[in-house]
Amino acid sequence: MGRLSAAKPVLTTPAAAPTAEDSPLPMATEPAVPFIEIETLRAREFLPAAKEALGSLLSEQAQGKLIRPMFNWAGRNSLFPLHWGLACCAIEFAAAFGARWDAERFGVVPRSSPRQCDLLIVNGTVTWKVAHKLITLYEQMPEPKWVIAMGNCATGGGPFRTAYSVVPGVDKLVPVDVYIAGCPPRPEALLDGILRLEQLIKERKE
Amino acid sequence: MEGEELSRRLVGKFPAVVVEPFRETAGRVRFPPEILLDLFREMRDGLGFDHLGQVGAIDWVEEREVFYTLWSDREKQYVFLSTRVPASAPHLESLTPVFSSANWHEREAWELVGIEFDHHPDLRPLLTPTGYEFHPLLRSFQLHEPEGLEVKVRDV
Repeated sequence: MGRLSAAKPVLTTPAAAPTAEDSPLPMATEPAVPFIEIETLRAREFLPAAKEALGSLLSEQAQGKLIRPMFNWAGRNSLFPLHWGLACCAIEFAAAFGARWDAERFGVVPRSSPRQCDLLIVNGTVTWKVAHKLITLYEQMPEPKWVIAMGNCATGGGPFRTAYSVVPGVDKLVPVDVYIAGCPPRPEALLDGILRLEQLIKERKE
Repeated sequence: MEGEELSRRLVGKFPAVVVEPFRETAGRVRFPPEILLDLFREMRDGLGFDHLGQVGAIDWVEEREVFYTLWSDREKQYVFLSTRVPASAPHLESLTPVFSSANWHEREAWELVGIEFDHHPDLRPLLTPTGYEFHPLLRSFQLHEPEGLEVKVRDV
């Protein structure tokens, strides 16, 4: 788990502008401003930036009632899960995004790249062979991110719990927010799990 | 290749092999492990069994059995071959010089049943993760409830 904790985001501060005394070579006095502006547009820096922008206009209490709820509202209504099918739960996962259940009405749109996702739905049996790939995908997703363990295999290993090749629960690898029981769970159960996750995001404070 | 023909053509060259009829195949051949490469060259070049479909292994506690399935595209027939090595020294010559398709099959038989294939070009785990220390299809391997499991995932 050492790699997971090491992968927590670290807020970077822009380095001090180099001065003419530091370097023997002639350098521009202005720092690389465009790069820093792109950095501040990241989601994890939205809250400090918003607080800084609204700090002079609103009281502390009004900020607490406005900024964090607005951030949570935007996040929970545009959950993008990773389009990553592992086993038979992936069939139910696919059905949940079809015409009959239509998870897109909750703003849930599967994306093909982990860089565009904030929700990892582990839908199937995770073997030890694929475990480090799952961690890599999780680490490639931008913050803030959530994990749903879908089905008995991802929750606790399922019928393969004592097997030599199966991870007994995906929470041994990544932190899980919502567990969905079932073998496989119906699309309604997946939608229920997504709605519970939205409730969790709604109540998010820090 | 009907009836006793396989037996007639093999036993003259390899007196140690035992050929017995088996269902609608050309037969089932048991052979000592020393003649493996010579026997399979004869099967391929002399008898026309040109496709190796399968290599597997079984743990019989005292000894381990390695079995092969060959297919003749000309005769449209299978033949099953098997040999036994002692469990104390489960060494067998690799078949990759004769049939290159034996490569991955032997990797699987090595990691699951622990047959050591000598002179194999690339004996790495195929199905189990890197660094996995057990041969899980051996009868001595114990399944266990994973309490207190320490998760170790190698760096990518």
